[in-house]
Amino acid sequence: MKIVVGMRQLADLVEELEVADSGVDIDRDFVKFVSNEWDEAALEEALLIKEQVGGEVVVVALDEPDVDQTLYSAIAKGADRAVKIVGVEEGWTPTRLRAQLLAKYLESEGDWDAFFTGVQAADDLDGQLAGLIGASLGVAHAAVVSKAEPEGPALRITQELGGGTLAESVAEGKVVLGVQAGRQAPRYAPITRIRQAMSSTTIESFEAPEVELGPGPKVRKLYPPESKGQATMLEGDPVEVAEKIVEIIRTKGLVR
Amino acid sequence: MWIDAVVETRKIFGGETSLEKLIFYVLAFVTLLVFFTGLIRRIKKYRSGRKLTGWNFRGGKAKGIEEVTEPPSHVRSLVDVATNKTIARRKPSVGMAHLLMFWGFIGLFLATTILSLDYDVYGNITRIFFGKERSFFKGWFYLTYNFIFNMAGVAALLGAALLYMRRIFSKEKELDYERAYKPEGGYKRVKMALGDHVFVGGLLLIIVTGFLIQGLRIDGSNFPSFEKWTFVGYLIGETWKAVGVSPALAREIHPTLWWIHVLMALAFVAYIPFSKALHILSSPANLALRNPATTRVLPPSPPDHIGYRELRDFTEKDLVGLDACTKCGRCHGVCPARTVGAPLSPRDLILDLRQWVDRSTKNPMILDWEERPDGSGPHNTEGRLAGDVIWERTLWSCTTCMACVEICPVGIEHVPLIVQLRRSLVDEGVMDPTLQSALQNIASQGNSFGKSARMRARWVKSLDFPVPDARKEHVEYLWFLGDFASFDERLVEISRTFAKVLNAAGISFGILYEAERNAGNDVRRAGEEGLFEMLVEENMKAFSSASFDKIITTDPHSFNTLRNEYPAFGLSAPVMHYSELLAQLLYQGDKVSLSKLTKQVTYHDPCYLGRYNRIFDAPRAVISGLGCDLVEMPRHRDNSFCCGAGGGRIWMDDSFLNERPSENRMREAASLGVDYFVVACPKDYAMFSDAVKTTGNEGKIAVVDIVELFYEAMMADQLVAVSGSSLSSEAFESQEGQ
Repeated sequence: MKIVVGMRQLADLVEELEVADSGVDIDRDFVKFVSNEWDEAALEEALLIKEQVGGEVVVVALDEPDVDQTLYSAIAKGADRAVKIVGVEEGWTPTRLRAQLLAKYLESEGDWDAFFTGVQAADDLDGQLAGLIGASLGVAHAAVVSKAEPEGPALRITQELGGGTLAESVAEGKVVLGVQAGRQAPRYAPITRIRQAMSSTTIESFEAPEVELGPGPKVRKLYPPESKGQATMLEGDPVEVAEKIVEIIRTKGLVR
Repeated sequence: MWIDAVVETRKIFGGETSLEKLIFYVLAFVTLLVFFTGLIRRIKKYRSGRKLTGWNFRGGKAKGIEEVTEPPSHVRSLVDVATNKTIARRKPSVGMAHLLMFWGFIGLFLATTILSLDYDVYGNITRIFFGKERSFFKGWFYLTYNFIFNMAGVAALLGAALLYMRRIFSKEKELDYERAYKPEGGYKRVKMALGDHVFVGGLLLIIVTGFLIQGLRIDGSNFPSFEKWTFVGYLIGETWKAVGVSPALAREIHPTLWWIHVLMALAFVAYIPFSKALHILSSPANLALRNPATTRVLPPSPPDHIGYRELRDFTEKDLVGLDACTKCGRCHGVCPARTVGAPLSPRDLILDLRQWVDRSTKNPMILDWEERPDGSGPHNTEGRLAGDVIWERTLWSCTTCMACVEICPVGIEHVPLIVQLRRSLVDEGVMDPTLQSALQNIASQGNSFGKSARMRARWVKSLDFPVPDARKEHVEYLWFLGDFASFDERLVEISRTFAKVLNAAGISFGILYEAERNAGNDVRRAGEEGLFEMLVEENMKAFSSASFDKIITTDPHSFNTLRNEYPAFGLSAPVMHYSELLAQLLYQGDKVSLSKLTKQVTYHDPCYLGRYNRIFDAPRAVISGLGCDLVEMPRHRDNSFCCGAGGGRIWMDDSFLNERPSENRMREAASLGVDYFVVACPKDYAMFSDAVKTTGNEGKIAVVDIVELFYEAMMADQLVAVSGSSLSSEAFESQEGQ
């Protein structure tokens, strides 16, 4: 089974993020970038499948800050190839653009069986990436996958639906998965192995093609959440608290 | 000589027939054959070990380590062996008993050798060349020989008897062979205990029968008066007579008892290479090979892979060390992991590895063997070394406190072995999830807290003076803080206190700000060598961008690696611990004026400051110099008891333990009735502050950093209380009394 894993670089959230002068992006000059934790779960799941049934794992990412580190780590953990999509404009890449670029890459790669990526990311909390790629390639897509196990040439997929419900389905043929969690926590990549990967592996480059995005939303302003006032604790026995509540409701003009 | 006919000597054989003599020589030959075959097999096993190249394990040239430990030398090893110094340490009576046995048996061995030289060598040579057998075993030589070697016999008898009594009656945990990690399939160590009985009991029997036949001989020869020099034999002869054994009867019994004695002695010699008795040879050999630098400067992995995985990874020294173990259990007794119920005992680890090696090389001991009904652990020669032979949890339990290496009487280096085995686990990615995230944090941000590297020096903001950036201006002291003193909320206050002391004393100091990285001491000891090397590179880059004369650190863990391990990567600046600087401020010059404190305190030696780097006196000098009354805990200085945080343990789960090592330690301190528990290590402060609460000693004893005491003495006229202390008001009352 040949699985392609899409990975993203994000600003490390332990950093103090600041809005850049442009007002539509974070200041990327002084923050450290790390890989998206859901993508790591996707990679882990892909590696487990490879260990079970053999095959190939290819990691692919846009050329974002510190991305080499993430790709070499993936190699150190057991991925076979790493591909970097180069020539993308610096700064934040909208998810729709990312989806188009990855879809183009997948078209050129051709013979893959499954594409895994994290179900969401700090800059894609709606989890659109996997869905958009599936749609643009016309390939089956499943989101919030918590388990993907090989079953013959197919994959048995467990998804988390709302309210603690799980759904199981079997995907035959090409499939795009948004992975929520792997069967086990992402493994550790020893630094020695990462360094070995750096000296023995070459990251392949894939020139970003021109893509038509069409009309879509545009970020107009990026700003830290505004504080929305504070809660007031009402103290006293229940009768007093009830009286205070009535008083507040009255002064706010909610009742007459 | 008052009668010419009397020559002070005796016959070598006591009336045995020439057939019996022949049998004796055949048996002696077979004995030596078995002994040397066994010994050569063992030596071949050692020689199959990895040769150390590039890593100078003898007289290790690790720069600076000479100041920390005495360099290994053959003279020193010889003195240690001859005086049994390492055995007498902390257990003088055991050491004395062993010393008696040691020299007693050397004496008896010499006696037999001299006899053989006279009878077999000198006698035969003179017979061949002069046609007449000659002997020097007569006259004054005979008398002196008997007198001296009778004394040796008494020493050996006394020593062996004392040690055997201890073996039988002592209830010390060191001597029961209960495992720290109980394998699921069960285990039996009956044969190990039996091996001890055969060894010491056998030696006792050999000495006793030796004396008995001597008595019979003297009785049988009608008590010649010169035999009074053979004082023990003479006395026993008289005893034989007193119980009714006539000289004639004595002559009759003598050959039988002689054969019993001789057969036991020969059997023992043949038994040596296959038993605990091997330690007679392997332990001194290991003491000669040991290198105190090895634990302080960890050795590299085998050349072709990471950590120890297979037999050929073990060095010659490792293999000799495994065979040197006498199961004395001292490491088992002092190990903090074992004490608090973790599945690690350094003794069990060494014995398991030894049995595994012996099994793999088909070189087994006759007794001295642990049985496993399910063939697990050391009997499993197919499984993974780290994981199946030695359980993962066992390896992860080590705090690398070095208490085992410190006390091992035969110079075994347990900690480097544990780290080598951990390395292979880390390489496979097998570890506690919490350790994994700590290592990932360190790899990405350079600190175990997972905070932004830029936040490292945030603690300086609330100071009312600037802390110089050593990358921008020259400073005398470059202060290396370490992660805990930079990020932990409780500890940054102590960092500020030290900064205030330095500032007030007018000392030129600076820090590296965001360029500092975790020094890597515990990363390396957790087995993540690659990450350690990366951290060294980053710190070395930061050092080379800064301008300073010396490095000073508040963290003993950083101190150890900076001082002992970084020189191999090019660091040449001297490294100091802050307690040394405080001692200098206190005793030299007049940079600070200090009031006297009168506090009852005890002091905890951090493993990486004390045992690792032998700094015991500087913190004590500061404490007493400040006027405090220092009450020592029973376990102090080189016998200090680890807080449980070292070797990466601070990043791992400790909830499964019976008690935390820090709690065990806090109970020890609380029993002294002192008010303060003084520490000189940020990790200690964190661990023991928790332990005070969890052991219910809040309000009874308070944890205080040594620099907080110093600052209080500096600021006493301004009434600055020891921070975080619940007892400070009391302390001030007593101060007014001065």
